[in-house]
Order: sequence, then C-alpha cells, then structure tokens
Amino acid sequence: MAFQLTIEPLGETIEVADGQRILDACLRAGIWLPYACNHGLCGTCKVQVLEGEIEHTEDASPFALMDIEREEGKCLACSTVLATDCIIEADIDPEPDAANHPIRDFVATVTRIETLTPTIKGIFLGLPGVGLDFQAGQYINVDVPGIEGPRAFSIASSPAARNELELNVRRVDGGAATTYLCERLKVGDTVSCSGPLGRFFVRESAPEPLLFLAGGSGLSSPKSMIEDRFERGETRPVTLIYGARSLAELYYAERFRALAARFANFTYIPVLSEPQAADQWRGEIGFVHDAAARHFNARFEGHKAYLCGPPPMIEACIRTLMQGRLFERDIYTEKFLTAADAAQGLAKSPLFKRL
Amino acid sequence: MAVKKASLKEKYRLMTRGLDWETTYQPMDKVFPYDKYEGIKIKDWDKWEDPFRLTMDAYWKYQAEKERKLYAILDSFSQNNGQLNLSDARYLTAIKLWMQGITPLEYAAHRGFSHVGRQFRGAGARVACQMQALDELRHAQTQMHAFSHYNKYFSGFHQANHMRDRAWYLSIPKSFFEDAMTAGPFEFVTSISFAFEYVLTNLLFMPFVSGAAYNGDVATTTFGFSAQSDESRHMTLGLEVVKFVLEQHEDNVPIMQRYIDKWFWRGYRLLALVGTMMDYMLPKKVMSWAEAWGVYWEENGLALFNDLSRYGIRLPKYHEIATKEKLHITHQAWMVFYTACPATAFHAWLPQPYEMDWLSEKYGETFDRFYRPRFEKFGDLEKAGKRFYTNRLPLVCQTCQIPDFFTEVDNPMKQAVRHSEWRGMKFNFCSDGCKDIFVNEPEKFCQAYIPPQQIYQGNAGGARTLAEYAAWLRCGMGTESGDYYSSDDYANWLKWHGERDTTPSSSAAAQP
Repeated sequence: MAFQLTIEPLGETIEVADGQRILDACLRAGIWLPYACNHGLCGTCKVQVLEGEIEHTEDASPFALMDIEREEGKCLACSTVLATDCIIEADIDPEPDAANHPIRDFVATVTRIETLTPTIKGIFLGLPGVGLDFQAGQYINVDVPGIEGPRAFSIASSPAARNELELNVRRVDGGAATTYLCERLKVGDTVSCSGPLGRFFVRESAPEPLLFLAGGSGLSSPKSMIEDRFERGETRPVTLIYGARSLAELYYAERFRALAARFANFTYIPVLSEPQAADQWRGEIGFVHDAAARHFNARFEGHKAYLCGPPPMIEACIRTLMQGRLFERDIYTEKFLTAADAAQGLAKSPLFKRL
Repeated sequence: MAVKKASLKEKYRLMTRGLDWETTYQPMDKVFPYDKYEGIKIKDWDKWEDPFRLTMDAYWKYQAEKERKLYAILDSFSQNNGQLNLSDARYLTAIKLWMQGITPLEYAAHRGFSHVGRQFRGAGARVACQMQALDELRHAQTQMHAFSHYNKYFSGFHQANHMRDRAWYLSIPKSFFEDAMTAGPFEFVTSISFAFEYVLTNLLFMPFVSGAAYNGDVATTTFGFSAQSDESRHMTLGLEVVKFVLEQHEDNVPIMQRYIDKWFWRGYRLLALVGTMMDYMLPKKVMSWAEAWGVYWEENGLALFNDLSRYGIRLPKYHEIATKEKLHITHQAWMVFYTACPATAFHAWLPQPYEMDWLSEKYGETFDRFYRPRFEKFGDLEKAGKRFYTNRLPLVCQTCQIPDFFTEVDNPMKQAVRHSEWRGMKFNFCSDGCKDIFVNEPEKFCQAYIPPQQIYQGNAGGARTLAEYAAWLRCGMGTESGDYYSSDDYANWLKWHGERDTTPSSSAAAQP
C-alpha cells in the first residue's frame, strides 16, 4: 500500500510506495532533496519528521544518524521508509510564488480538435461546473484509453479559461498514447484526468525580465504563462524564442506576432532549424539556443529563464545560458521524470539541484 | 490561510544575520590579504549558499555523541583482543601505511582549513572551513586512537610523526598536502574540498573502510563510519566552492580549470598508494583498483564533469591516461615496495597463490603477461634463499615524489620519464601530468625537498647505505622493515594462533 508524504516547506504532497525510500520517491516526483552518498553513511539527506511514523532501515549508519537525532525525530531520507502518512521538513527553498492549487481527479469532454501542424494537434477539453484552478505552466495527467499509466501534458491555455483546457499533443512515432490522441480521439469523447501538477510556473515576485525558450509542442506551457502574464498587465520585458523544424511546424506564430504588436515589452523570435526552400524564411535559422545567444549577445545575466521542450533542446539551452552567466537559481525547466530518468538521476552528480 | 513555515535556510539567516560586518578601522583588503592574489574574482559573497547550516552548539553536541559511540567500540575491541580476529597480520601493512601517510594529512587538513577559515572575506565560507578544521583534527586524533591498540602487539606503529618527517615514501603524501597548504585559499579549497574530498574521496575511503570491515578490523571500520558522517559537510562544501567561484566571474573559469587539472592529477598519483593497498595489502580483497576506478571515476566522476561542462569546465587533463593506467599502476607500485621494504616502516611480501589467481582474474592479460612472471621470478629467488632487495635509491618525480616506476601508457615495458630544464637545472618527472604541474609553477616545485637527493647529500643523519638510512628512520630488518614472512609480526601471529609457518615459498600456503 502507498502512503502520502507531505514535504515542508514546499507543502507538496506525493505518494510513497510501501518499502520505497523517501529520497527515491521525492526525486522521482521531481522534488529535490539534498543528498550525496544515497546509502545511509554521509547524513546529507537528513530531514525532520513533523508528523507520522517512519522506519529507519539498516542502511542508516549510527554515526550519520545518531540516537539523539532519532529521538528528535530526524531520519535519513535515503534510508527511511514510511509506516503511516507523514509530514517531513527538509532543508529546501520554499517557493513563495507557488499557488499550490489542490490536485483533483476529473472527467473532461473533448470540445474541439485543431490541427496546429502536421504533427501537433490542439486538443480542447471541456470541464463542467467550476472548472479547474491551475497555475500557468502546470500540467495534467491524462488516462489514455487502452494505455497503461497516465500521460502528462502541459496546459497551453490561460488559467483565466477554467472550463476549457487546451493541450498541444505531438504525435510521437511509435508512441501509442500520442498516436491515439492525435488520430483516434474525437470531439465528444471523454477522458479521465488529474491535476494540476508540476512546479513550472512564473516566479512572479522576482523583478527580472522573463525569457522563455521553447521547442516543438513545448510551446504549450510558455503560451499559457505568457498569455497569463499579459492578461495581468505584465510590465517587465518578456521574450519568447520558439524553435521549430520548418515553417509547417511553426504554430501560433500569428498569435504571438499580434501580441508583440500590442505590447511593446513583448518580443517574439521564431527560429527554424531546417527551413525548406518553399518556406522563403527570412527569420532566424538554427536552434533555439543559437538564436538566444545571438539575440542577447551571449549574455543572460539579470533574467529569469523558463525552458520547455525536448531534453536535448533544454540541455543545449542550459549550457548556453550558463556560459552566458545565468545559473541554476534563475533557470526553470519543465521536466517529466520517468522511472528510468529518476534511476539515472541518482547516478547523476549532485552538483545541480533542479537542472 | 495557514502561516507559512520559515525554511531552515531562512531560520538560519535570521539567527546569524549581523554576525559579520565590513571593517571600518582597517580596509577589508588588509584584513583579508590573501583572497585576491590568485586572480579569482568574487563580485558578491552574499551569493554564497551555506552548504550546511549548523550552529557550534549543535556541532559540539553531535560530535560528542559520535565520540562516545566510537570510543566505546574502541575500548571493547581492545578488551576483547580484537587484533587476534584480523584476517591476517599482513593486513596491518595497510594500516601502518595509512597511519604514517594519511593520518598526518588529516592533521595537515586541520591546519589548512584553520588557515583559510581565517582568510576568506565571506563569513559563510569562513565558518564552513572552521568547522571542517575541527572535523579534521578529530579525524587525526580518532585515527591515532583507533590504531594505537595495534602498537602494543605489532611493529611499525611507533612514532608516526617521526616517520612522516624521515621516510622517503611519506614525502609523497606530505608534499601533496604541503603543496595545497602553501597555495592561495581558493586553490586550497579546490584541491582539498573539491578534488580530494569530493571527486576522489570514495577511492580513498572505500578501500580503507570496507577493507577494514572485510579484514576484521572493527576499530578502523567504526572510525570510518564516524568520519564519514562528517564527510557530508566536506563534500557539500567542495561542490559549493566550485559552483560559487565559477558563477561569480567568467575569468575564474580558466583558473579553476587549471586547479582542477592539477589536483586531479596530484590526487590520482597519491591514490596509487591506496590502489596498492586494495590489490596487494588486504588479505581479503574488497574490489580491485581497476574496478574501483571504473565505478568511482569512470561512472560517478564522468557524470560530475558532464554537469560541470555546463560551466565551460572540461574533463581534467590526462584523465584518459589515468583510466588506461588502471591496469598497471598497483602492480608496479607493489613491486617497488616488495624490493624496497628494507627501508620502509612496513612489511612487504610476494602475493600468495590465491592472490595471484585473484589478480589474474581481475587484471587478465595485463597481470599474467607483465607482472605474474616477475613475481614468479622473485619467488624462485626466495626459494633459492636469495630474496631480492634493492640496494639503491630511486629517481623520484619532482612533482609527486613517487619513484619513477610508472611505464609509458601504451608500452608497459618502457619506464616513463620526463624532463624539464629550469634556471639551468634539470628536473625529472614520472608523467606528462606531473611535468605540466612543474612547468606551471617552477618557482614552487624547484624547491621540493626530494628524499633521495637529500640522503645522498648527507641530510639523513649522514646515512650512506640503505641500512644506515633505515637505522636513521629507527627501523630494523625483521622488526619494522623487510619481508613479512621473516618478520616478528609474522612469528608472533603464528605463535598467538598456534600455527606453523605457511610462507608462500612452501607449497602449503593457506588462504586466510
């Protein structure tokens, strides 16, 4: 059976399987806790249990976690399993800008399906009643009929539209779930969903200009975030650099050009990596990180950057941003961690907390 | 809405705010005279993220508890004659080498961190270094206490400080740390906190602590756990230092790269001693040096450097050489210890048959083709009553001070020697890595106090032969020095266990 674990000061609640170590569960859920050795010897992952019962496994060294600490309710996240639902307090930074909307299970009805590009569909989901409260940038889990386990999709629409959520779904070659959604789903079908999820949102209280770097269907979150910002009267400079392979794959360009025409503090830079001759493309050519380096003269200090897209694009952008003097504390990415990714994450170095 | 809890970081900030200040009677540059000359640019010390938030009050409480636990186990080990439960007295060669070579480094680390704990302008960095300085002092003391029990029963544990000053092979670890301590504060923390305590720490501690556990040394195993619980702070400090410096200014990147290149290679060379411990000194083996290098460097180390490459930091220079050499260095080092043990404060021996087979299994063709035949030749000489000892002093690398016994990376039959001229003097090196380090800082390394030269110049009590040198070390053949199987340690071990001689030259060599 599974237990609920709430992590303070984030206030985030996750599920921990029977016998699963707390650290493992947190990292898989995308919540970073400080850790190093991962087998009970170093004590880096020490956390305070505020409520509930835990069990120390034998891995926890009596020197890394001493008796007096056990009595004080401390435990090593890497070597602790849950016996009941628990609340722990970890040494992590709180997120003052997180709205912490409650997660709900709901059934939505497909109201519209739009072909955005040859590979990306815009799927609109109608929600009855009060709709869904979410923070721009978050995602929902969708149960795709006939597919084991839910699939995560970012919400592309603004939180102002609570009764209709837009998802951008790219058909992945050989991907059963996306093929179903792009080819078999019809208007009027119902799908079971849960959400909102994720900690990808605009750090509203930070004064810095905003830089969005997006690629492919990773435009969804930035679209929601940017529309939300301007609906709320954003005055800081906002830049969106969006990468697509060719003109046919570039979507919502007119929408963003119109927004840029309306708001002097919004800059829109589409960039194509493989423009076709027929495209007669006169804009930026290359990858998103190339265009970003050119536009900002390879200096990014003093920004907050939000990255959303395929992993190679995110990695290339992180490198460009860091070599342009923007570091982890100012870079936010949307990452969907699979079990395989999380297993690799443990072998990865603890140099970076979130990136 | 519920009141938000302050994070631990915020609570610590509120508790410690205002404890540091900008000096006004004296300019800050005079108060902190050493933290700028390396060329490292720090724009904003407030961006330093305390890698751990510990008050002195809590520090004393936790450390006292650790001591209580440790000393209870040390007492019980000693009262129960724990030395008799070791796998084999040969194991203690590893502990002797550790006590002579590594324990003084813990003390040197205490001195080094006390120094930089005064010299950084940022209070966070100072506090982190001061706490680590206390940890290191504790480690030096508790190691000596853990090992002191063996001093009642075995030779070679007396006067580690005396050995440290005089033994030729101990200039290897000693010069390593003195190089770090005489560098600027940023180089010191990069070398010790990052390169040594973070990147290479598992290669140092794993064979030592697991080796102790495998070989029945409860005292040392317990010390290891007690120290490792402090290492979390040391490792996170190492990571924070590197991130902080790299993020502060782009001009810092090439300086840090040079430090990383240098200290990766210096640390790697020092670890040749530890690798030899794993492959040859532990009667019950944990894993081979080649396997440990594979896990801790080729997997974990490369993952770290993949992350660091985002800052524009590349893999340390010559890392690929180190990986290729993993199949050779420990065999070459043990061969030197085997032949030079009349002038060491520990014993050496030929691997027993089960160990030769283990080495064949772990090293395959490398061992069978290049090293087994030499050990067999030495074995033939032993049987003929002509145990081979070297009778001359080696050429020593000017940088790492290891005798020049390493071979060319692509030709294990050819000794690798490099040279450099500086101010009319010729200097010798074991490798391109060590030569590069010298060429970057010739003024520093030309002053290295190289034991063979000093001995020949009469600065080892006027010793002219190896026997005289050993006497100056206060070591004697059969007691502290020489082959294990002709030592008092071995004779006593047999006597205490009521056993007969099972030297490898007799066919009935037993596996411990």
